[in-house]
Amino acid sequence: MSRLDKLQGDAMLASLMSRRGFLIAATGTGVTLAFLRPGFAASDAAAVPVEQAFEPTIWYQIDRDGIVTVNITRAEMGQHVGTALARIVADELEANWDSVRIKHVDTDPKWGIMVTGGSWSVWQSFPYLSQAGAAGRIALIEEGAKLLGVSKTACSARNGMVVAGNKSISYADIVRKGKLARTFTADELKALPLKPAADRRLIGVPTQAIDIPSKTTGAARYGLDAEVAGMVYARPKLPPTRYGCSVTSIDDAEAKSVKGYIKSIALDDPSGTVPGWVVVFADSFYAADRAAEKVKVVWTTGAAAKISEKDILDHGVKLIEDLKTGSMVVNDDGVDQIFSSAKTTLERSYTTSTVLHFQLEPVNALAFENNGIWEIHTGNQWQSLILPTLAKALGVGEDKVVLRTYLLGGGFGRRLNGDYSVPAALASKALGKPVKLVFTRADDARFDSPRSPSVQRLWMAFDENKKVVGMEHHATAGWPTQVMIPVFMPKGKNGEPYDPFAISGADHWYTVGAHRVRAISNDLANDTFRPGWLRSVGPGWTNWALESFIDEAAHFAGVDPVAFRLGLLDAQGKNAGSAPSAVGGALRQANVVKRAAEKAGWGGQLPKDTGLGIATTFGQERDMPTWSACVARVKVDRSTGVVKLEKLTLVVDAGTIVHPDGALAQCEGAALWGASMALHEGTEFVNGQVRDTNLNSYTPLRIRDVPELDIEFIPSSEAPVGLGEPATTVVGPAIANAIFAAVGARLRHLPIRPDAVLKALKPA
Amino acid sequence: MTGFTLNGKPVSVDVADDTPLLWVVRDTIGFKGTKFGCGIGMCGACTVHLDGRAVRSCITPVNAVAGASVVTIEGLDPQGQHPLQKAWVATQTPQCGYCQSGQIMQAATLLKDYPNPSDADIDAVMNGNLCRCMAYARIRKAIKLAAAEMRGASA
Amino acid sequence: MVKRILIGLLALIVLGVLGTFALAWRPAIAPIDRPAASSFPADLVARGEVLAGAGNCASCHSAPDGQAYAGGLGLDSGFGIIYSTNITPDPDTGIGHWSAAAFVRAMHSGVARDGAQLLPAFPYTHFTQVTDDDLKALYAFLMTRTPVKAEEKTNTLPFPLNIRALQAGWKLLFFRKGVFQPTAGKSEEWNRGAYLSEGLGHCAGCHTPRNALGGEKTRAEYAGSTIDGWLAPALTSANPAPLPWTQDDLYAYLRSGVAPLHGAAAGSMFDVVHHGLAKLPDADIHAIAVYFVDRNGSAALADNKSALLVKTIAFAHRDTGDEATDAGAHLYQVACGSCHYNNSELPLPARPELALSSTLTGPDPSNLIHVMLEGIGRDERMPGVYMPGFAKGLSDADVVTLASYLRRSHSEQPAWADLSGAVASARGIKHQDKGNP
Ligand code: FES
Ligand code: FES
Repeated sequence: MSRLDKLQGDAMLASLMSRRGFLIAATGTGVTLAFLRPGFAASDAAAVPVEQAFEPTIWYQIDRDGIVTVNITRAEMGQHVGTALARIVADELEANWDSVRIKHVDTDPKWGIMVTGGSWSVWQSFPYLSQAGAAGRIALIEEGAKLLGVSKTACSARNGMVVAGNKSISYADIVRKGKLARTFTADELKALPLKPAADRRLIGVPTQAIDIPSKTTGAARYGLDAEVAGMVYARPKLPPTRYGCSVTSIDDAEAKSVKGYIKSIALDDPSGTVPGWVVVFADSFYAADRAAEKVKVVWTTGAAAKISEKDILDHGVKLIEDLKTGSMVVNDDGVDQIFSSAKTTLERSYTTSTVLHFQLEPVNALAFENNGIWEIHTGNQWQSLILPTLAKALGVGEDKVVLRTYLLGGGFGRRLNGDYSVPAALASKALGKPVKLVFTRADDARFDSPRSPSVQRLWMAFDENKKVVGMEHHATAGWPTQVMIPVFMPKGKNGEPYDPFAISGADHWYTVGAHRVRAISNDLANDTFRPGWLRSVGPGWTNWALESFIDEAAHFAGVDPVAFRLGLLDAQGKNAGSAPSAVGGALRQANVVKRAAEKAGWGGQLPKDTGLGIATTFGQERDMPTWSACVARVKVDRSTGVVKLEKLTLVVDAGTIVHPDGALAQCEGAALWGASMALHEGTEFVNGQVRDTNLNSYTPLRIRDVPELDIEFIPSSEAPVGLGEPATTVVGPAIANAIFAAVGARLRHLPIRPDAVLKALKPA
Repeated sequence: MTGFTLNGKPVSVDVADDTPLLWVVRDTIGFKGTKFGCGIGMCGACTVHLDGRAVRSCITPVNAVAGASVVTIEGLDPQGQHPLQKAWVATQTPQCGYCQSGQIMQAATLLKDYPNPSDADIDAVMNGNLCRCMAYARIRKAIKLAAAEMRGASA
Repeated sequence: MVKRILIGLLALIVLGVLGTFALAWRPAIAPIDRPAASSFPADLVARGEVLAGAGNCASCHSAPDGQAYAGGLGLDSGFGIIYSTNITPDPDTGIGHWSAAAFVRAMHSGVARDGAQLLPAFPYTHFTQVTDDDLKALYAFLMTRTPVKAEEKTNTLPFPLNIRALQAGWKLLFFRKGVFQPTAGKSEEWNRGAYLSEGLGHCAGCHTPRNALGGEKTRAEYAGSTIDGWLAPALTSANPAPLPWTQDDLYAYLRSGVAPLHGAAAGSMFDVVHHGLAKLPDADIHAIAVYFVDRNGSAALADNKSALLVKTIAFAHRDTGDEATDAGAHLYQVACGSCHYNNSELPLPARPELALSSTLTGPDPSNLIHVMLEGIGRDERMPGVYMPGFAKGLSDADVVTLASYLRRSHSEQPAWADLSGAVASARGIKHQDKGNP
């Protein structure tokens, strides 16, 4: 989910859309329909050497039975991405949905960049998958017309058939009997008639996800299920901290009593991903697990072993107060003058704790060498990021490593960082055998790239009419992009690079006069652990601070929080919005705020100690806004400080919704993630390690904590945008704002614990 | 050697007595539908039926099931068409799906005990099953749907 | 406590010096050639088998991996390890040379065939009540077992406790010889129950606390005690069960190992029920139930039982606060609730209701902790109920948190003292401030 891949994705998209042609040609079992490899400019499909032409980007095939198989390069981790992407193709293709299949592919340069994150999959793929579908439809109509002996203008395609009056022929028959061969130049492609939204038959229509039935029978295969003949099992023994440890000695005398134990090896890792790791091998996972408990390793440790959560947060405060640090992400003219001449100003600070991914399937990978190619079998969200690291670790060229993708037992950004595949590869190399490396839950938690703790300070300037005239937002946290792929950080206005994913959300659509956003990397966090991208990343904390602060500002100005927000979401100037994805700008955000307030009964009577709180977001990036608003209803127990989340009302405008039920499921999950991070989970670093490593003390939201959910999508035919994350970021501040509305206690730290509520209730 | 019945067929395994049933079922025998999430009995991903009732296989040593009948998600229904499985598809409950074998197996015990479960029943019995994708609202809906079908079928 | 030990020791020493050897001296009974198995009538042997079950002989006289009745099980007496002896008819290492008279003397008086004093870990203090008739049947059963050659293991009792002759002094203090006499005015069934329980069954061996010298505290008969780290609960009116034990409950418990409104036999009681009493006819089990229901006075409370059940369940099912402020509630909801939750007044048999478990109401948390850590095996329960142990997932602190939550939420008893000590000892950890005298 780095800027890189978004940029690469954009570039790929641009190249697909502008330079490449499209080719339809017979292959062994049917026809293949694909964008052409760059440099190919075929005019005669029959003359094209298919294998070479198709290499770069094959999109789908139709076989002799009319089965349409759409290749999916995105990872399936619960978002039913294959279903959504296939429906985009199938709608334009006018395929019969029952004949559509999906196929998740392995890494191969031909697939281009492989990343699944940032809620981008549908948004990025929509334009070219539509064109691919449309090209296929045109070709099938042309060939079908020939076979029916009618003119192509007399034909239309519908539901897997080409129809002309009372004559018709199925796609299967066309593939079988016809000679489908057709090329489209880039210009022809661009000119293809795409269906108007009103004619869509699959997009936006309820359907069942293709991946679901196998997830109810035990048939679905995840990374943990991967096996190969002759493999041994392994469990890692993790050093005390992520960085700076090295192995002094290994004593496995006791482990030898475990039946099936093979040996323990300290990994030598040229990629520097797993310094100080020992891997314990055995003929079963249980034996490896038990042996690992008995292997004694002595490490030398680095400075991180003394660092705890408070040190990181304290360091953050220092960084914020040192105005020379950081990158100016937004820096309008005149911010300082506005503040010095303001009638009144408001300043508030907000913090968040460390959060674990805790995807249910602990990370794992199977690695082995097969005829000179290293195969890595695992669930992964960003194959393109880890391939070079794997190649470096193994000392081979990137063309010698292939990732075979499995279903993900949860992603949430954890598997964007494929670091867990590195020790598996090294272990296999060291042992000379296929190795299945399985992390226990505690290993997984300790090796997580958690969401960094954060510190933020915000200021607002008001004129004499309590009108907002200036705003500053300074934020510091560990920066995942800096740690994992630093070359892809853009530069701020002061020329300093910044991690867009650690600050996005602060560059909001409110009109606040002179605006400044400053992002600061918390180097102590980066040195202590590896910060990760976690569902919605930066907005998980930036929007927490922003939307809590906007609420405080509203109360400060004496304005109703909904009215205050609507007043600032005026779509003036830079907030007017623009094509392709941000048409309408802040007005669409104002609309979801209004709608959510209305649905939730904003302003109505509530029982004692019960309150409504609102928060809104545009998602992650200004060029892909997912307009979202949430109203939380909470009841606060004044004697215990316990916050009961009773209801969440969410309204989302994500443009065109391709797979409505999948979209709803994503929002349900995201909203509950938000609730979980607000009230239930969160951990902290103690001596360089996360304190909570399993469910006895790490406490994500469970079924009994689920509030009533009311989620609505704004009907729209605008460009589809992402849905996996935005709902996560509105729930926390909505809850805090609701607590304030209920009992007047203002909470400024996530997660919100009962004792903090009690403390906030009692004026100091 | 420990012998037991797995999904209706006798099996016999030669592993350390304290090996968790989870790994025996998955790796020794090869039924991969039962999942590993926490290893300490607190996520429910590993839930199987032991003599007809849900148990956490990750903390059940294989010698404890000697002579018993163990059923995994693969054996819940020969066609994968148990009312719960059908309801899970009808409500489109699974997201990543990793927790769902365990959810379904636990729900089967819930419905055995409480054929018409209230929300409180569902919360209390299903709370041990973590769904990290947070598909909880649909899990609840699916359980009620399956319960209705099963009551109808048995009425 | 310390004072009493000193007095006791002093008494022993005085006795030892003055007359131990005179007191202790018993003649050897002449060895016999091992009688042929066929010399015992089959029905006598069969009766003996039942009695061996009632006495639960195998439980002490078999080592975990050894042969039945071949001895070798180490019992921690608190003073040192005492190993049980081989009571198969092996002539060299067992009782092959013992005549019936020698056997009866051992059972009645705690004296071995060769005249040596037997340690009171062997509960002759109870067996003395068994009739000669029954002992002959028991003898017939034992003498027809397959002889096993198994050398006696050396006890680790320290001086002076390892001087067998000193046992004579102990006997003076704690042993009353005599065959069971029926209590007038009690039913025949009651007296049968008493005979079985007080004699071969030696129930008091576990359920009566012992004094510093290992003698049963006669004045605290059946007041409950600790055995192998498990609490053997009081069988008096102080019995901690939330609901009174009716005769039917107790019968069900002793017969099947499970009383639906009470719980399952676990720990050493598991052996007693499933390997010992299992051999007894129903009538005898009923008799034992009659005897104890009378002794603990619960018969009188039985009328109240349904009201009490409603009250107990209602108490346990009240809202006990939010897991957000209570880590114990959280642990219960993620680890226990799936199986233990009940929504109704009458709990489902397959969902053991914790509010009815004396593990939660007893004076000591050991049984609860044992079950939390080790679980309940399938054979300990009715078919279909199995509880895995949570030793791996719960830290010691978690066990303390969860146990105190359960006590607080499911019973009206005061909090347990020193839970962490109890957890540590259940885990087998040496705990420094355990407060031993
Ligand atoms: S893996 Fe067994 S309960 Fe989590
Ligand atoms: S569906 Fe992913 S954990 Fe439940």
